[in-house]
Amino acid sequence: MTPASPIAQLLEELDAGRIEARADAVLAEPLHWFPVRHHSPAVARHVAESIRARRPSIVFIEAPSDASELVPHIVDKKTKPPIALFSSYRDDDNALGLAGIESPAPDVPFKVSVYYPLLSYSPEYVAMREAAALGARVVFIDLPFRARVKSAAERGLQGTPGETGAPGEEGEPPQDDAHHVAEHHESQPGWEHLAVESSFYQKLADAAGYRSFDECWDALFDVSLRHADTESFRRDLAYFCAAVRATTRRERMELDGTLLREAHMWSTITRTLAETRTPPEKAMVVCGGFHIFLEKRMEPDRALPPGTVYNSLAPYSYLRTSSDTGYGAGNRAPLYYERLFQYSESDPANAPVAAMVDHVVSVLARGRRDGELLSPADAISVTQHARMLASLRNRSAPILDDVRDALISCCCKGSPQEEGRYLLGAMKAIETGTAVGRVTPALGKLPLLYDFYKALDELDLGEYVAQDRKAKVVLKLQQAEDERRSIFFHRLAQVGIPFARQLAVDKAGTLFTEEWEVSWAPKVEAALIEESIHGDSVESAALAKLDEELAQEAGSAGAVAERLLRAVNMDLPGMVLRLQASAGGAIDADSRLASLGKALTHLVVLERQAARRRLNKDLLGGLIQRCFGRACFAMPNAANVPPEEFDEVVAGVKSLAEVLIGEKGADLDRDLFIENARTTLADSKSQRLRGALSGVLTEIRAQSPEDLAADVARFARALPEEMVQCGDYLSGVMETSRTALMLGADGIVHAIDELLRVASWDQFLMLLPRTRGAFEAVHERARISLGDRVAVMYGLQDDDAAAVTKLETSVGAAVKLSELDARVGEIMKEWDFA
Amino acid sequence: MAKPAKKSEETAAPPVSEILKEPAEIKYAHELEALRQNEKDEVPAAWKLSPRSVLAYIVGTKKPLTATINGAQVEVPITRKFFGDDTIVERSIVTLASERALLLVGDPGTGKSWLSEHLAAAISGCSTLTIQGTAGTTEEQIKYSWNIARIIAEGPKPENMIASPCMISMRKGAIFRFEEITRCVGDVQDALVSICSDKAIAVPELPGDAMVFARPGFNIIATANARDQGVNELSAALKRRFNYVHIPVVADQKTEVEIVRTRSKELLERYKIAARVEEPVLKLLATVFREMRNGVTAEGVNIQKPSTTLSTAEAIGVALDAAIHSRYFGSGVVGADSIGRNLVGSIVKEDLDDVKVLKEYLSLVAKKRGEGDAQWKAFYEAAISAIK
Repeated sequence: MTPASPIAQLLEELDAGRIEARADAVLAEPLHWFPVRHHSPAVARHVAESIRARRPSIVFIEAPSDASELVPHIVDKKTKPPIALFSSYRDDDNALGLAGIESPAPDVPFKVSVYYPLLSYSPEYVAMREAAALGARVVFIDLPFRARVKSAAERGLQGTPGETGAPGEEGEPPQDDAHHVAEHHESQPGWEHLAVESSFYQKLADAAGYRSFDECWDALFDVSLRHADTESFRRDLAYFCAAVRATTRRERMELDGTLLREAHMWSTITRTLAETRTPPEKAMVVCGGFHIFLEKRMEPDRALPPGTVYNSLAPYSYLRTSSDTGYGAGNRAPLYYERLFQYSESDPANAPVAAMVDHVVSVLARGRRDGELLSPADAISVTQHARMLASLRNRSAPILDDVRDALISCCCKGSPQEEGRYLLGAMKAIETGTAVGRVTPALGKLPLLYDFYKALDELDLGEYVAQDRKAKVVLKLQQAEDERRSIFFHRLAQVGIPFARQLAVDKAGTLFTEEWEVSWAPKVEAALIEESIHGDSVESAALAKLDEELAQEAGSAGAVAERLLRAVNMDLPGMVLRLQASAGGAIDADSRLASLGKALTHLVVLERQAARRRLNKDLLGGLIQRCFGRACFAMPNAANVPPEEFDEVVAGVKSLAEVLIGEKGADLDRDLFIENARTTLADSKSQRLRGALSGVLTEIRAQSPEDLAADVARFARALPEEMVQCGDYLSGVMETSRTALMLGADGIVHAIDELLRVASWDQFLMLLPRTRGAFEAVHERARISLGDRVAVMYGLQDDDAAAVTKLETSVGAAVKLSELDARVGEIMKEWDFA
Repeated sequence: MAKPAKKSEETAAPPVSEILKEPAEIKYAHELEALRQNEKDEVPAAWKLSPRSVLAYIVGTKKPLTATINGAQVEVPITRKFFGDDTIVERSIVTLASERALLLVGDPGTGKSWLSEHLAAAISGCSTLTIQGTAGTTEEQIKYSWNIARIIAEGPKPENMIASPCMISMRKGAIFRFEEITRCVGDVQDALVSICSDKAIAVPELPGDAMVFARPGFNIIATANARDQGVNELSAALKRRFNYVHIPVVADQKTEVEIVRTRSKELLERYKIAARVEEPVLKLLATVFREMRNGVTAEGVNIQKPSTTLSTAEAIGVALDAAIHSRYFGSGVVGADSIGRNLVGSIVKEDLDDVKVLKEYLSLVAKKRGEGDAQWKAFYEAAISAIK
């Protein structure tokens, strides 16, 4: 039994006659209007059939009119969806007046970009493909993107309606996504928001029990068996859209720019028909269902705002298309609808069930892979359940909502959020899919892409593109070729192109060596297209991004020095000069030890590279002295910082000491450091900071190792509440002291021994975790050496000490002991003692 | 099946009964009859109503149905019985029409038994074929037992067998309800495996291959407390034969107020207590439960959560206690003070530390709201005095 159309029932309650008359009038026009919804497989199928049947000579499509030249590349055989039409605009002359308002600073131009995703079953894509097969001309009719931006700005929306962030690629952790986010991404314009707000839809949803617009759409159009042919589908869809339009306020359409866009659409259509002398009956319009009822008024062409515009095609992915990633004009289950489309091309009547079976089997297979107990019997139950749910919900075939509910009913043994979390994960993964598109090489590359590939070629890095997998690259910076590669990689990292990632500097690499992980994937090209808005070359884009960063935040001394280092690594001489000039001011304005310590470290690194990088060594030397002096004076202020800032402060003290001990130390005021360190030591209530300062003073020979040991020994005679803080003190010492620790090892070992002797059992228990934690932080060699001192102190000679490690024991017992030790270590780590 | 008692021909009100708690099929007999008379869809074998009518019975209809009740044509409103996500009811009905049995699982007081009873009443016209699971439930109670005296006298014969509610359901083709299934030990639960898969019970004591086969329409609705699941979790074999439908705690304030209003009204009618709970008091009660359950107030202040499950059923209990209190010791109108007085017992049960939790809520939230709202002031003063 075919359920009655809820639309027809509801139209009876509205002014159905008027709505139907309006829809019938549009449907009867010689110009053939085909209403669509983005990424609707049913619409795509019917659009294709309609084009094949009507054989128009022109097909008008709702896409930005200044991007029509991309059509041959979209339908090129080597282009494979999902792809996206990318459009960006940079207001170089601040024509819209948004610089400083919608951009980080008045001298940073406002930039904005948009993606129009095209999937294999997007009606617009299918229409282009069919038109190409017929040799029909395709003309895009929507307002150019920059005109939309201008219009939004004029309406006080400041050029960012529907702003969203761009999601990342498959398998990427969320933190990587931020890497790619260009500013002001807009979403593809759609009409669903107007439909959802219309009183018609709201009444319909209430009457039919739809929980979302997607559910409504699927039930009425995508998975509906009510339509015998394309014409009945077009009519039903037109009625739906007419009712939505009739119950949408005109002010709403004005506010979101719909009317302006429609005026442009109509102007483009009429002008093209006139210019090409095409009779309307030989043309066809494929546009949002809401727009087939556009007001047919001609508007004079509005001047487009000046600036830099890029229209291009980018490889896209189903993950980015999935509406769950928060990107506009998305699709809730890209792979599910692809299955639906593929089956419907050969057998529309059975497509919903065939797609469902495929989907359910895939979900269960994925669930099994994740450890869920799911059998083929479950698949049978799920499909049966989904069909029965669909019938109960008055649908002719199961839609995605029914399949989701059936999967939860039959396969989730408890709460979906708890017991069902793996199942939900499998459902989402299979609904979304992993497809990544490809753009024909015939498409001329944007300048930034061209520059990128040119650089790869020049730097002999082309092999990594062909590999499409991760590779480690070690660069010897003394070699000119490697230095140029390093500059290129640093620039890419600054722009946010996920091609090269520097491995942690402290683990890999020295002053003259860098290690990078290099990998090419389609997302690299997508990111390059996205970042084209920042410049035509990798160098200019890197400069623009760093410039924006500076405009957003003036920065502390540490931040400025870090950016200076980056600018040097990227070989941006102009920026280096600017940062060098501003670094002095930043140092003078900063009074935080932690920030000044970082700045000092970066400046010293820069000074070491001065000759190789052609930097002004004298200037850097002066900055180092200023920074060092300022940091010394900042030390007493840090004496009693809150515990959460200890790490930063200790790192700052350590930086100062390292510089002082290093080759640069001779030029610095050692006494100033000692004086301020002693003042801080006297004022601080934090035993860890006191230990760190004491360790540093010993390390620079401002006090003897015996003095340090005496400090430790004092804890044995202190009040109980102070005694138990000895572990914190030792932690501080061991963080900053290496040589001194070994020189004074005997004294320190004796002091600790004395402390442990006088401590009561409870005090010992309180002392133990921190004390052990302190020793964990020491290098293994130093730890073994300290252990030897303990052995010797307790009367064991060197030989005897060696014998300790040769105790007679069974292998099993040794394994057990080792396990116990590892477990204790883990517990300590969990308790944050390590 | 019990039949509705005779009632005045002019009205469609439920029949008068001397039973303290009428089964759903008696209490809502007129609604079920009206749905039957208005049936438009195909009714599955042995079901009393079509799945769509069962759904309508449980979630209610917007317009009353015209039906002939006791010889008179009347308008019968179909009231909503289950508040919450309708897809839960849809999934439950579809499960019962399929091969698999239904397990309703959720926190205490989320309406599992309530839904189970109404499903059985609407599908089979009988909600009383029920076993309450306990640690002492035996396999015999699930399948069958014997009249020992007659066995000794006559030996095993079909007429000497005492059929369990499950076996009766199988013979009738009706819904069998198994309450709190996870309270039973695993071996006993597994007695259901063959019943679920073979839809039959073997009786080896009888000569020949004696089997009791289920008629079409037979299925099982079990309930399990989400917190008890770890006690005697279902075996993998049994899990496979059940579709689980998880009933969450009501998600929104409006629905919770609606549930408390409807259910407390029914209970007050049942106990013939002439008291009423005013709307602002209902809202206050629902707010207190919601905020304490979620550990966060409407203003976004984080508060401690008590160890007890503050289900909607508990809120209904508080409303009922407060109504009884005000009927016999007050004006008959339930005020916020009555709610405050009767709240403590619902929140502080096993863990005395919950007194501190309640005190924190009263001091940080209720007292502050009481500064500008008389209802909250009365509530705060009564509750704080009850704690002392």
